[in-house]
Amino acid sequence: MSTTPLLETRSLSFRFGKRPILHDVNLLVEPGSIYGFLGPNGAGKSTTMRLLLGLLRPAAGSVHLFGHNLAQHRVALLNRVGALIENPSLYDHLTGRENVEATRRLRGVAASRTAEVLALVGLSDNAHRPAREYSLGMRQRLGLAIALLSDPDLLLLDEPTNGLDPNGIIEMRELLRELREQHGKTIVVSSHLIGEIEKVATHVGVIQLGSLVFQGSLRELQQLQTGRARLVLETASADTCRNLLPRLLTDAVATAPGTLWLQWVSNQHTAEVAAALVAAGQPLYGLRLEQPSLEDTFLHLTEAKPELVK
Amino acid sequence: MESTLTSDTFLTLPAAPAPFTQLRRTLAADVLKLRRTAALRLTLVSGALPVLLTFCIFFFKGYIILKAGGTPWPRFISTAWQTAGTLLLPLFVVLLTSLVVHIETKATAWKHLYAQPVGRGAVFGSKLLLILVLNAVALLLFAGLVLGAGVLLGVLKPKLGFQTYSIPLPAVAWMLLRTYVATLGLLAVQYIVSLYWRSFVVPVGVGMGAVVSVIALMQWEHANKIPYAAPFFTAVSMKMGKGSLEVAHALAKHEWYSLGWFAGVLVVGYLLLYRRNVTN
Repeated sequence: MSTTPLLETRSLSFRFGKRPILHDVNLLVEPGSIYGFLGPNGAGKSTTMRLLLGLLRPAAGSVHLFGHNLAQHRVALLNRVGALIENPSLYDHLTGRENVEATRRLRGVAASRTAEVLALVGLSDNAHRPAREYSLGMRQRLGLAIALLSDPDLLLLDEPTNGLDPNGIIEMRELLRELREQHGKTIVVSSHLIGEIEKVATHVGVIQLGSLVFQGSLRELQQLQTGRARLVLETASADTCRNLLPRLLTDAVATAPGTLWLQWVSNQHTAEVAAALVAAGQPLYGLRLEQPSLEDTFLHLTEAKPELVK
Repeated sequence: MESTLTSDTFLTLPAAPAPFTQLRRTLAADVLKLRRTAALRLTLVSGALPVLLTFCIFFFKGYIILKAGGTPWPRFISTAWQTAGTLLLPLFVVLLTSLVVHIETKATAWKHLYAQPVGRGAVFGSKLLLILVLNAVALLLFAGLVLGAGVLLGVLKPKLGFQTYSIPLPAVAWMLLRTYVATLGLLAVQYIVSLYWRSFVVPVGVGMGAVVSVIALMQWEHANKIPYAAPFFTAVSMKMGKGSLEVAHALAKHEWYSLGWFAGVLVVGYLLLYRRNVTN
């Protein structure tokens, strides 16, 4: 990578009191990407997001935005960042428009932006209503409008599809894609759902128990997944087959009396297994390739204990 | 990966707004957030209660209280001021600071506020300024209502003589200034407590507890050093002279203590809050 990352953390660690939350996290977000930040609940996603905004002080390590240290230039750097952290911070006694307006005044953004961002998230018609009357999805969209106010180069969105219905989720996805492709934004979006991230992200980081367990492009994650493909073999007796073909089936695992799982290697290897089995006089009821879904890969990455099948 | 943003543009450090600009922007936002809040309503109506009480007392029993004759103004003003200053004013300041700070807490907006390009000093200073102004507005409204009620009594009960004697304006002005100074110490304490605990219950509980305790401690020789007692001491410092209201044209000792508390608590509190993590 020759370009300076737009967002970078170096050995970032954090603890609450004595309880460690994050350990040696090195995020790398390149300009113009949608970085999906994945992890189960409680893995440290929100804590990381807060550290990226300078809301929390790291126990060790540093955050760099646009090549500058956040600890030294927080106010200046935040000028180019829009964020939506967990549930949006809305003043229920104010209308939707007044909520946007409060942040607009705070950031010193042009007055015309209020109407623009409200239109962008489709809330123009409801802008006069008090925020307390908003549905969960509307609140989320209003939060996004506020994050977009200053036309930021970097957007940090923490679980932005929380509480959205399927339509809302699709709309959000399209909006993120549009922001990247047409406006050149860099977006970090956290989620605990791989299905949501794989449809929109260009890069993925997976966090588990406060450590980054995977980071790379979406393609790299998909390659990791093909490496974990397995062959499922249905026969009469799994044990008999293993005894007859020790070379080919030594690593195979019997998951049922007539079922064997083995690591997929290549097409030739698959054909060889089938031929050998038939030659040995064993019945072959079924032979299929099982591609673990991205979700399985994600679960595999975020599982604390080693998996049953390697 | 390919990128359209590799040029110098994204690496140049954006300029941070000047400290005064940050404060001005934060204040503009804070004023907007005040719309339709309990804090604003409290400011506008709180002065009415002690005035209404005093008005009723003088309306129904004024002929007994004022039977000595002469100007009714000193007696009327000091009654109203003592009704307000002993208990209601400290409680008002407690409620006001808690309510203003609670606007952010209720919206879980601290995380949002601190993620904006304004420094923590601007956020701290803006709300403090807002509370100071609201406190001044409430006091001015109270004084205006007191004088208005006196004028009204002059119309409704001419026998009491409110219309024949002039209003002791310099005394009222000094009382206003000194009472304001007397509230500053407890205002600062309440402000820091509200920011530190970020709940509504804790600062109101602390404040009410302190106000009630002070009533019990009034005879203590160091009572004048307690910020919660200062409005009381100012209210009772008014003396009724020969047909006039005597108010010292200088700050009393407990008012200097109040100013000391104000400065000291704000400095210590700010240092305490400055480096804190934002978790809600």
